[in-house]
Amino acid sequence: MIELSPEIVIALLLWGTLVGLDLVSVPQAMISRPLVAGTVAGWLAGDVHAGLRVGVVFELFALDVLPVGAVRYPDYGPATVAAVAVGAGLPWQLGLGSSVVLGLALALLGGWSLQLVRRSNARAIQRRAAALAAGESNAIRRLQYGGLLRDAARGFSLTLVGVMLAILMRQHVRLDDQTHLALTLVGVGSALAAAANGAFRSSGRSARFKWLAAGAGTGVLLAALA
Amino acid sequence: MNGRLRALLRLFAVQGTWNYERMLGVGMGYAAEPLLEDLKAVDPVRHGEAVARSAEFFNCNPNLAGLALGATTRAEYEAVPGPQIVRLRTALCSPLGAMGDELFWAGLVPALVALALIGVVLGAGWWAIAGFVLTYNGIRLWTGYWSLRLGMQSGMRVGAAIGSSWLPRAIERVGPAAAFAVGVAIPVVAAWYLKPFGWSAGIGAAGVAMAGIALTRWFAPFLTTVRFALAAMIFLLILRRVGV
Repeated sequence: MIELSPEIVIALLLWGTLVGLDLVSVPQAMISRPLVAGTVAGWLAGDVHAGLRVGVVFELFALDVLPVGAVRYPDYGPATVAAVAVGAGLPWQLGLGSSVVLGLALALLGGWSLQLVRRSNARAIQRRAAALAAGESNAIRRLQYGGLLRDAARGFSLTLVGVMLAILMRQHVRLDDQTHLALTLVGVGSALAAAANGAFRSSGRSARFKWLAAGAGTGVLLAALA
Repeated sequence: MNGRLRALLRLFAVQGTWNYERMLGVGMGYAAEPLLEDLKAVDPVRHGEAVARSAEFFNCNPNLAGLALGATTRAEYEAVPGPQIVRLRTALCSPLGAMGDELFWAGLVPALVALALIGVVLGAGWWAIAGFVLTYNGIRLWTGYWSLRLGMQSGMRVGAAIGSSWLPRAIERVGPAAAFAVGVAIPVVAAWYLKPFGWSAGIGAAGVAMAGIALTRWFAPFLTTVRFALAAMIFLLILRRVGV
């Protein structure tokens, strides 16, 4: 098992903060997608393979999210980073289930923390309403930097909580191999359900559904041949 | 660095102060600042009013916000009456939101993610991930530049300019492509995870997936797939604890 040294923990915290910022605030470059966040976290923790396996499973969950308008959704970025910290150095069949448990709980917490930041932004705007109405550019700039800072703090705190829980899980949670394997299978099954749900919802009963079915047929063929 | 480039860079942080009252409003004001600088010397009163308007309520897909930013900035320089600019901003919210969401969140992102997933499963590893990030950001950067330029060129006529652009046609095409790519990715990824476990475990995971799809549809919106997954895993741990 890989030891999560202080250097690795610091690197994961920095990465988790960037990933947390990327989801909504800046730069939305898709580094917060679990596939990217997880693989880089795996590389930082010394186990790219675990990062890929964790990243792909959370990417399936993320395919169920359509981040439109003011909709509330889980934040999978820092959650994936912490989930990788649980499974790094373990055979993926044994580590993935525990990673999914921690990651999903953190993703829900992350979604809730986004609401806190949004409400906090609204309060800051109310405090500067007069300056905004007067067209003061300084007020806009301060609000913007304040909002970015709040979101960075959110990403950092979320990753910190997640990585600390990951360390505790690695040290204290002892399950037999059968339970680990069963957790992994349930996690993968649930992730596939999430991806399928997202695909069905996006395609509806339109012509898009035919393309989805054609893709699924091709995928089954490809999976059988691979 | 000229004002337009600074505005383009600031558009990447347009959701930096996202909130339920003004939504993207303050972020739009932040991005508008470098574009409105020249107005300060020409007409300081108008500049103050324009800055205040730029930070009012606004919402749309962040990747197309440049269209509204460019159009309203040009309108400010053309001394279009303030209430008319406010109406333009309000009128642009829904179409830019719907088109941007269709193009990016329901089209381009799932399509590229699915291609990256297939690439990872087929052994492309980092290349698949780098390809996803670079392609998405290349398209997004170009769209941002195009949006701001078209908005600045068309001003109050931005609606007609959008209608005759590539945007509606791209939306029609990207949806089916995304559906096909996601359709391919799901079984390929399923096999990648489940093949090492053998048939019986694969059938078990497929059963969990079927139950997840059915239950989350019946008990939506309360039972999301995340809640289902957590409940199923806790249930499993309890069963193992009692010795099943």
